[in-house]
Amino acid sequence: MEFLYYFDDVFTLWAFGMLLLGTIFGLILGATPGLSPTMAVALAIPFTFKMEPAHGLILLGALYTSTVAGGAVSAILLKIPGAPANIATTLDGHAMARNGDGKRALQLSFLASLFGGVAGVLLLIFATPILAKWALVFGPSESFWIAILGVTVIGTLGSNSVIKGLLAGCIGLWISTIGFDDILGTQRFIFHSSLAGGINIIPALIGLFAIPQVISMFAKGRTRDDLEVLSIKPHPLRKAITEVGRRTRALGIGTSVGAIIGLIPGVGGQIAGLVAYDQTRNFSPDREKFGTGHSEGIIAAESANNSMVGPSLVPLLTLSIPGSPTAAVLLGGLIIHGIFPGPNIFRDYPEVVWPFINSMLIGQILMCVFGLMIAGLAANVARVPRAVMAAVVLALAVFGSYSVQLSMDDVFVMLILGAGMYFLARYGYSAAPLVLGLILGPIAEGNFVEGAMIAAAQNGVLPYFFTGTLNLVLIAIVLGSIVYSVWLELKNRNQGRAL
Amino acid sequence: MKKLLAGAAIALAALASSAQADGHATYPERPIMLMVSYGAGGATDFQARIVTMTAGNDDALGMPVAIINKPGAGGRVGWNWLATAADADGYTLGAYNIPHFIAQSIQGGVEYSADSFEPIANWGADPAVFVVAADSEFNSMADVIDWAKANPGKLTFSGAGLFVGHHIAALQIEKAAGVKMAYIPNKSGGSGAMKAVIAGEVMAGVNNLSDAFRAREAGTIKILGVADLERNSFMEDVPTMREQGLDVDNASVNFRGVMVPKGTPQAIIDKLAETVPAMFANRRVAGKMKAGGSPMHIMTRDEVLEMWAAREVTLKDLLAGL
Amino acid sequence: MHRFQHAIPAGLIAFVGLWVCFVSYTQTPAAAFAFPRLISTVFVVLALWTFFKVLRDGAAQDGGFNRQEIVNIAPGLALAVVYVFWGANFFGFYTGTALAFFILLTWYDPADHRQLRSWVMRAIITAGFIAVMYCLFALILNVYTPREIWS
Repeated sequence: MEFLYYFDDVFTLWAFGMLLLGTIFGLILGATPGLSPTMAVALAIPFTFKMEPAHGLILLGALYTSTVAGGAVSAILLKIPGAPANIATTLDGHAMARNGDGKRALQLSFLASLFGGVAGVLLLIFATPILAKWALVFGPSESFWIAILGVTVIGTLGSNSVIKGLLAGCIGLWISTIGFDDILGTQRFIFHSSLAGGINIIPALIGLFAIPQVISMFAKGRTRDDLEVLSIKPHPLRKAITEVGRRTRALGIGTSVGAIIGLIPGVGGQIAGLVAYDQTRNFSPDREKFGTGHSEGIIAAESANNSMVGPSLVPLLTLSIPGSPTAAVLLGGLIIHGIFPGPNIFRDYPEVVWPFINSMLIGQILMCVFGLMIAGLAANVARVPRAVMAAVVLALAVFGSYSVQLSMDDVFVMLILGAGMYFLARYGYSAAPLVLGLILGPIAEGNFVEGAMIAAAQNGVLPYFFTGTLNLVLIAIVLGSIVYSVWLELKNRNQGRAL
Repeated sequence: MKKLLAGAAIALAALASSAQADGHATYPERPIMLMVSYGAGGATDFQARIVTMTAGNDDALGMPVAIINKPGAGGRVGWNWLATAADADGYTLGAYNIPHFIAQSIQGGVEYSADSFEPIANWGADPAVFVVAADSEFNSMADVIDWAKANPGKLTFSGAGLFVGHHIAALQIEKAAGVKMAYIPNKSGGSGAMKAVIAGEVMAGVNNLSDAFRAREAGTIKILGVADLERNSFMEDVPTMREQGLDVDNASVNFRGVMVPKGTPQAIIDKLAETVPAMFANRRVAGKMKAGGSPMHIMTRDEVLEMWAAREVTLKDLLAGL
Repeated sequence: MHRFQHAIPAGLIAFVGLWVCFVSYTQTPAAAFAFPRLISTVFVVLALWTFFKVLRDGAAQDGGFNRQEIVNIAPGLALAVVYVFWGANFFGFYTGTALAFFILLTWYDPADHRQLRSWVMRAIITAGFIAVMYCLFALILNVYTPREIWS
């Protein structure tokens, strides 16, 4: 209960000011396509140089939590995920917004984020020693199977045809191999000099989601009918709270899957939302409602996204192992003040670490409050005429993809991928499996190559990947997911015939 | 109205041309970009952010330096970009890592070599160290070599990648001891390689002294040897490889510094070469670097040129057998 | 018509798949192409399957375009391409964006183009948007564009 002792440190003028600043900016940056949590935190690091360690960390922590949650805003209203973590939110969130319930979707998403976020930070406070051991259990073979678990999600994600979903996933996996091979440094599929740096995930994400939105606004032409992008009905907060409260299955699965996957160094954040979404769907009796604006889909995805934040800091704080690019930047923020994370960090630097963690707890609440205020403003955003929205999104996509590494090549890739995706989408191929392939490719390949090299020096590849309790459990989940999907597919087809 | 516009246009044109006319005397006139070919949060990125934090001061460059990360393939993506696509106008600098980029250019398949860049100054030297998990049975390099001799090719040890400092150190250790071990390059670089050691995925590892120092403070690893000519001031208790009978010199020491692409005007190179070492020597910079456990080693342009040439010879010799 | 339309993307994907597969199995070193070989094989199988399925029962597929949509999309897409590949660099990042933004707005705005009011409105929106972008990216985030505002 030591953390309670440091609670009033969060409420000093400076600390609370940093928390507010970080939360508000984080929400804005997170809602801007292309400004990922990693970038937001990296940009803020120089400002923390001159601050007290605790204040600097509070600012960084607040930015981290609120950019993750802020990404849901553009995911829901525009179908453009602010960061890879928000892809799953687009599936049901945007569908719900299309039905006129954008405000409800935003309220559900921020309330679910609050629940998941608080649960994740509480895990960080109370279970760090246990979680630290867990984080190390995931070696190359286990991480490889996690990536494969992600691949099994591909076929059923947002496509009405499993084959086309898988095909889109393959295209994504292939695109992820373009550029230099990370280990051997061999050039692969570089058929134009703009591709020499490989395909950066953030510009690709912007292109694949934002550009099809822009073009479909073009497609409507100069007509006056349905001039506005969306219509947004009012929705009282009270109803949203009751709804989130009733969706215990989605909250439970989302939060726990997010927390477990968030813990795994190098895999976590990007796929936590998608895996949680898929597992919730598997366990839901309303399976066929997913993708049509079902509240469980939003709640699972967003609670997973934010419950991952707390546990993802466990390997960082206790073992000095950054589990994600964002955590790596946070590590820099710690080291710069001479704080070396390790098993004794809570003993050696309680006056820095506890205010930091506590501020993340308070930050979740602030994030939810401001987020709900944004939800109130959503109706205004939706009232923007289509022509303006198309131009705004196009310009944001260009600026966002350029600013990732100040490269025009990324902007070219963004536009070409996006325009291609629009045409493919019209023929039944969807963006979500393609992006998932793009994310999973490097994880699967890197861990497989590394595992195979270790295995080659020891007992051989087969025992390395197919023995060990955790490997077997993961393989069982993978097989279970596949068999279950196939069974459902067959069942639906037979029913279709019977009708 | 028209007159006003014309007047404004002339004024603008005059402004633009006056900036052109007096050459590089007023350099830098706008913020400068420093390309780091590793991801945000990595050791190079982290140190680059510290050593450039005072760039905006009047006694330094007078303009801030912005860090741009172009990570990928052990640094190849960023250095390729710097050699082929970056503007050689003095506003695009790059961070170098020796022996990485020289070793990669010897291996081939990249569009740069030591001749593609002009060094400005060196800020740090981070030797490679040999690490094992805290609960490992190995307590000295001799233990490691004995085990490796008894089990040829079975001792797995991690490092940040192929043709980087860690790989060079690994090759030198294997050569010096006359044993075959299994070097496992990690896709996520130094931090991934360290995680593999702590988690017991591999039996040992080669890593940066600065990262290993912090991990040892945290109690998760043991450091068995330093691949340098002398012991390091951060860890006086750790013997060098030579003290333990392994003939390993400082060829794998990771030198970090600033360079510009070839073709940058000589006047700008001279100005940078004069100002940047002094900027690195700033007291606040040194304090932050020490607090972060990052060894500093400031070298001027001439010293770096000499060091690059020497490394090229050593590395060509070492990598010839591969 | 419909059958033909669906065959184009499926055929293109199959072609890309075959090319990826060919490259993966012919390039060296083999170790670097192990993963591409695996995925490209699956890729080709799925792509050919889809392609032949489309040829067989193309008309039963959903989606596709009609002429009006293509007429609507073409100018916007053309402008986006010109803006990204040429304008942003030629006019400077912010000027190029302002121009592209204004032209797009004018083209797709259903307002009567003979009214001065609608032109003023669009100019104000453009100026406001560019000002916000400049504050966010140039001033707060310190993003350096390839060429500054006007030059």
